[in-house]
Amino acid sequence: MTEKKSQAFAICIDNSGYPASLELHKIYRVIPDEEAALDGDLRVIDESGEDYLYAAKHFLLIDLPRNTEHILMHSFSRVLQKDEEAQPGHPADAD
Amino acid sequence: MSDFEIIGEISDIETIAIGNAIRDLPRLQKVYGPGRWRKLKGIALVRLSNGKLRRAELHWYEAHGMSKKEIKRKRYLD
Repeated sequence: MTEKKSQAFAICIDNSGYPASLELHKIYRVIPDEEAALDGDLRVIDESGEDYLYAAKHFLLIDLPRNTEHILMHSFSRVLQKDEEAQPGHPADAD
Repeated sequence: MSDFEIIGEISDIETIAIGNAIRDLPRLQKVYGPGRWRKLKGIALVRLSNGKLRRAELHWYEAHGMSKKEIKRKRYLD
């Protein structure tokens, strides 16, 4: 049975212009955005934790097996949750 | 070459985060140096690499004495 693949992740191969927002050779989550794709852009969650439009030239899309993608998604979600809890004013911060 | 070109001025400028409220503050400081960093947003007309003109919400970083850094497109408003 052929595993279904999707492109939810990309490796940064060029961070020119965005050395703080993008780290070279790091894996980033890609948010589906058909309009962006038509313009040659990708919507990516960058180092700020927010999603922004970047020219596709900054990235190499990765085809991953679905189970590998799920493992990575879960890992990314855990990091995001930890960061949100660490922000001042977060309910978990009140003590 | 930049991902896009800003046409005219950026309007409706607002500060959206200051100092430690900026998640990627350590990276900003490492790349551009220490300072009182702010994250700002505004609206501008931009020309994309394919020539299209769009009205976009832009985000960027500033510190005293420095020019705008890492201007990014958050969303289109048209």
